[in-house]
Amino acid sequence: MSNIVEAKSLTKNYGSFTALDGVNLTIPGGAISGLIGPNGAGKTTTLKALVGLCDVDGELSVAGRDPRIARHKLMEDVCFIADVGILPKWLKVSHVIDYVEAVHPRFDRKKAEKFLSTTDIPANKRIKDLSKGMVTQLHLALVMAIEVQLLVLDEPTLGLDIIYRKEFYDRLLNDFYDGNRTIIISTHQVEEIETLLSHLVFINKGKIVLDSSMSDLSDIYTEVLVDADMVEQADALQPLYVRKLLGKKSYTFESVPREQLKILGELHTPSVADLFVAKLKEEKHG
Amino acid sequence: MGKFAVLQFYALLKREVLEHRNIFIGAPVVVALLLLVATTWIAMQIDQSQLAEGLRFVSVLFDGLSPLDMAPFVMLLAIPFYLTLYVCSVIYLINTLYQDRKEMSVLFWQSMPVSNFQTVLSKIVAIVLVAPIFYVLIIFAMYLIAMVWLTILGISSDVDLVGIGYLFLAAIASLVLIYISTVVTGLWLLPSVGWLLLFSAFAKKTPLLWAGGVFILVGFLEDFIFGTQFLANWVASRTSDPNQYLIFEFQSVFERVFNYDTLFGIVVGSILIAGAVFMRRFTD
Repeated sequence: MSNIVEAKSLTKNYGSFTALDGVNLTIPGGAISGLIGPNGAGKTTTLKALVGLCDVDGELSVAGRDPRIARHKLMEDVCFIADVGILPKWLKVSHVIDYVEAVHPRFDRKKAEKFLSTTDIPANKRIKDLSKGMVTQLHLALVMAIEVQLLVLDEPTLGLDIIYRKEFYDRLLNDFYDGNRTIIISTHQVEEIETLLSHLVFINKGKIVLDSSMSDLSDIYTEVLVDADMVEQADALQPLYVRKLLGKKSYTFESVPREQLKILGELHTPSVADLFVAKLKEEKHG
Repeated sequence: MGKFAVLQFYALLKREVLEHRNIFIGAPVVVALLLLVATTWIAMQIDQSQLAEGLRFVSVLFDGLSPLDMAPFVMLLAIPFYLTLYVCSVIYLINTLYQDRKEMSVLFWQSMPVSNFQTVLSKIVAIVLVAPIFYVLIIFAMYLIAMVWLTILGISSDVDLVGIGYLFLAAIASLVLIYISTVVTGLWLLPSVGWLLLFSAFAKKTPLLWAGGVFILVGFLEDFIFGTQFLANWVASRTSDPNQYLIFEFQSVFERVFNYDTLFGIVVGSILIAGAVFMRRFTD
C-alpha cells in the first residue's frame, strides 16, 4: 500500500521556539502509527500540520493532497480528534449529529446513533453537561460513522479513566480499523497502544528520532539482561542505553546481530517505552 | 450550487443562530418585552378617558393615507431594535472567529470539510441577512400583542377600530422596510463588517481593542505622513447621518445599493473579509 503521509523538511517556528525542525516522515497506508514524544516535542504541531490546522514550511502530502491548500477537501478523507474538549460546549448532542450529517458527505447517521445507543449519552444534553469520557465517546461515535482513509488522534484519551481508555481503543480496533484505513495516534500512555501499533515514530525537540515499522524494531533493537560476568563485553559493543534492573544491568543495542548478543545473557525486544527512553537518552548524550 | 452545498450552508447558518441565540433572538425579545412593559406602565398611569382620547387621536392620525404611506412613520417605532441590532452585530462580528480559537472548538469546526470561506461567509450572511429576519419576526409579534391590547381598549372605549386596523397594516408594511433597511445598511457597512471579522480572526486577545486601536493608529499615521484625513472623513461620512441607515420607500433601494460610494465600500469590505478568511487558516 502506498504512503498516506509524506513529509519532507517540515519546519515550524513560534517566535524563537522551533516546534518542528526539518521533520521527515512517511506513514504507510493501512498502518496504525504511534507518534511518541515528550511534552513540547512537536507531536501536536505535527498532527495539526497533517490536517491543515497549522501552517508549516516544507513539503507535505496527506492522502494525496497538500493540507495547507486544500484542508476542507482533505477533511472528506481524514478525521481528527484532538485531546478531549474540542467539541463546542454550547451544542447539544443531537445538534452535533445534525451538523456533521449536514456538512460531511461521508457521514452515516444511523451508524453514529447505533454507536451512541451503546453508551449513556443522552441526545438532548449539552456537551458542557457531559463527562470527559462521554465527550470522547461522542466524538468517537461521530468519527466511526465517517468513511475516511485516515484518522488522526492527538492524545485522545487524555484525562480519561482506565475503563474509558480501554473501551476507546477496543472500539477503535473493532469498529473503525479494517486493515485499509490508517490511524495515527499521539499519546503519553505508550503501554496502552503498544500492542496496537504497526508503525512507530519518535519525535523529540522537533526532530524525528525514530521512524520504523514495528516488525523492523525487533530486528534492529535488542534488550539484553546481561550477566554480571559479561558486563565488560557488553560495554564494548557500544550499547544504546544501559539501566539497572533487579540487581542486574539491562542493555539496549541498536543494529547489533542477535547471534553476537546471545552470549551476554537473556535477549528481549525492548518495549516501546524502554526504547523511547533509550532513544531520548541517546539524543541527550549525543 | 448542488443540494448538498445548500444544506451544508444551511447547517452553518443554523450553527450561528444556535451559538449566538442571545444576539439573534434573546436581545430583540428583551427589547420587545421592555417596550411592552413600558407602554403598559405608561398606559396604567393615564386616566381611562384620556387613554381612549389618545387612541381616537392615533386612529385618525393617518387618515387618508394608505398603509404603505403610513409605513415609514410606523417604522420609527423600531428604532430601539435597530440600535440593538447594530450593537449586537459589533459584538457578534468581533467575537465570532476569536471565540472559536479561545475555546479550541476551532479544531472541531476545522476538522469538518467546510472551507474557511464558507465559514466566514456564513457568519456574514447570518448577521446581515438572517439576524434581521428574527428581529422583524419579533417586532411583528410585539405589534400583534400591542394590536390585541389596543383592540380590547378600543372596544371597551367605543373607538372606531378601522383606523387601528389600518395602523396594523402599516406596521406590517413597515416590517418589510425595516428588513430592507437593515440589509442595505449591512452592505453599506461592509467595510466595518470586514474590519471587525479581520481582527476577530487575527487577535490573540482583546480583538475589539485591536480593531479600535489599529484603526486609530492608521488614521493617525495617515495624518502624520500625508497630512490628510481621508480615512477619518470617509468613516465620518458613513456614520454621521442617521438617514443612511433607514430606507423609507422601496423605490430608493436601487440607488442606495448601486452608487459609487456603496460599491466602493463593498470592494473594501470584500478585501478585508478575504483577509479574515486568510487569517482563519491559523488556529493558534
